[in-house]
Amino acid sequence: MSHAFAIDIFIRVFLFAFIGVAWNLLGGYAQQLSLGHAAYFGLGAYTSTLLLIRAGVSPWIGMVAGGVVAALASLPIGALCFRLRGPYFAIATIGTAQTLMLLFLKFRDFAWGAVGTTIPNLGNSPWMMQFAAKAAYYYIALGLLALGLAVTYWVERSWMGYYLVAVGEDQAAAEAVGVNVPRIKRDIYLISAFLTGLAGTFYTQYIYFIDPNTAFSFNISVEAALVSIVGGIGTLWGPVLGSVLLEPASALAQSWLGGGAHAGVQLALYAVILIVVILWRPTGLLGALTAAYDRIVRAAPAGGPASDGTGILGTGPTVRKGLPLDG
Amino acid sequence: MTAVVAQAVVNGLLIGGIYALVSIGVTLIFGVVKIVNFAQGEFVMIGMYISYFLATLIRLDPVASLAVSMPALFVCGVLLQKFVLRRVLGLGDMPQIFLTFAISLLLMNLALLLFTADYRTVQTPYTFSALRLGPLYLSVPRVIAFALAMLLSAALEIFLRTTDLGKAMRAAAQNRDVAMLMGVNPDRVFSVAVGLALALAGAAGSLLMPFYPAYPTVGQQFTLFAFVAVVLGTLGNVRGALIAGLMMGMAESLGVQFVGADSGLLVVFAMLLLTLAVRPGGLYGGQTR
Repeated sequence: MSHAFAIDIFIRVFLFAFIGVAWNLLGGYAQQLSLGHAAYFGLGAYTSTLLLIRAGVSPWIGMVAGGVVAALASLPIGALCFRLRGPYFAIATIGTAQTLMLLFLKFRDFAWGAVGTTIPNLGNSPWMMQFAAKAAYYYIALGLLALGLAVTYWVERSWMGYYLVAVGEDQAAAEAVGVNVPRIKRDIYLISAFLTGLAGTFYTQYIYFIDPNTAFSFNISVEAALVSIVGGIGTLWGPVLGSVLLEPASALAQSWLGGGAHAGVQLALYAVILIVVILWRPTGLLGALTAAYDRIVRAAPAGGPASDGTGILGTGPTVRKGLPLDG
Repeated sequence: MTAVVAQAVVNGLLIGGIYALVSIGVTLIFGVVKIVNFAQGEFVMIGMYISYFLATLIRLDPVASLAVSMPALFVCGVLLQKFVLRRVLGLGDMPQIFLTFAISLLLMNLALLLFTADYRTVQTPYTFSALRLGPLYLSVPRVIAFALAMLLSAALEIFLRTTDLGKAMRAAAQNRDVAMLMGVNPDRVFSVAVGLALALAGAAGSLLMPFYPAYPTVGQQFTLFAFVAVVLGTLGNVRGALIAGLMMGMAESLGVQFVGADSGLLVVFAMLLLTLAVRPGGLYGGQTR
């Protein structure tokens, strides 16, 4: 395994952990299960690329602009989709990402249509977010992840965090107690979309290419949710754990089995992992890990409060299994 | 002009029969088991491939292959319920959504791996035949599909209304706890509900083969249409799903005629928004039957 390949895997792990962390704010804490986060990824990517190629603006600025565009887009999308609950919300989000993909496929004059475009190679120009050394991308990805974790940590411990968990666990009860549910959902969606937009810019700068199928790819929406669910939905480190487990596995599977001849392997693998995790540990593997750690290290009986993710890593409010109110 | 509209409406109605079958399946599972089946369209896809292979290997007409696809998918449904869905009952939205979503993803990609992305079609003697009804042309395979779809829906209605098991299912859909107090066996009822729903999906697939290509992701559009139809027809209401399915078919057809060929997604969104804005409880206003 070459050095570059290893760094690439690390970058992917950090990037998808970051996207997962962004998704988790909405999907884990607020329990609004979005399967269309690629919409914001793509908007971020296209914003920075358009600014770069059409106006020569540095992608660093473009990245923030992309995040803002994504956040702004989350307002009308949220206004529409939050009227729906559960699986209908999920379907609506899938629809929005698909719609954006269709729109960008058609915008040939404005945004290169289906063909997409490459990022002009400016050699090593840090101001334009292009680096000869791969390690630079490693640090940026790590920085983004750190940002996402910091935001999550801060949200968890703020009033917003408590409101979020209330909304996530029982929206009707939260409303009854006086939580401004629509505002909370809107606010967390803004943050989640903004962060996801940043990731879109980074990825485009890293692979030097953008097109609607990559930028608004359903795979990205799935991975965003997947790493959080597998790792530990509604926890700080869950998406990181999920990404650490899934990204290398997927990269290795692809390099062994090849993408062309065996299209569908990656997603089939993800699907199997998702099914196994949901049937065995629906709250994610983080809980299983901390429980195992407790059992080994403390030699204390596991179970009880330690097994739902609040163990040694002390992550604050966590999501428990839904109460079977309707049997 | 009216002839054009009428033709679009008729075409839409005919394909609406298929949408209705798929929607009824989704609403049946939701009403009885309280799970939204993201993978319903993939079972349509399975029905299509079953009919495709039977037609290719032993020259069995797709419509005749209903006799194979429906029982096969019924069994799939029972197994699905007994071994997979049962484990997430009562766990809340998240596991249920992602479980059926994962099943959908798995089936699509397994199909991709096993059958490749090639479009598979079946030619029957009547694939290109059409009946004339005044100025209107009715494509024969679509008429057959519609007729059988209506027949199956009617059969399901009769089953739900007259048989003990059917009544037990409706009771469980209305109020699971009281139904259990009345002696309804939830396990059996759930298994049959999922089995029937999947059988209907398989039927839809078989009926589609004479005029529609099979490919791994073909199910997704049906799932999407079915979901909107289920909301429109009121969650859990079988008759509502039927009517809404027909409406979705007509809306799509009119959209394709007057807006453009790619308007499928727009139609779906428009119907969903309209329903949510005007009548969020659906056609039957919140009455599960």
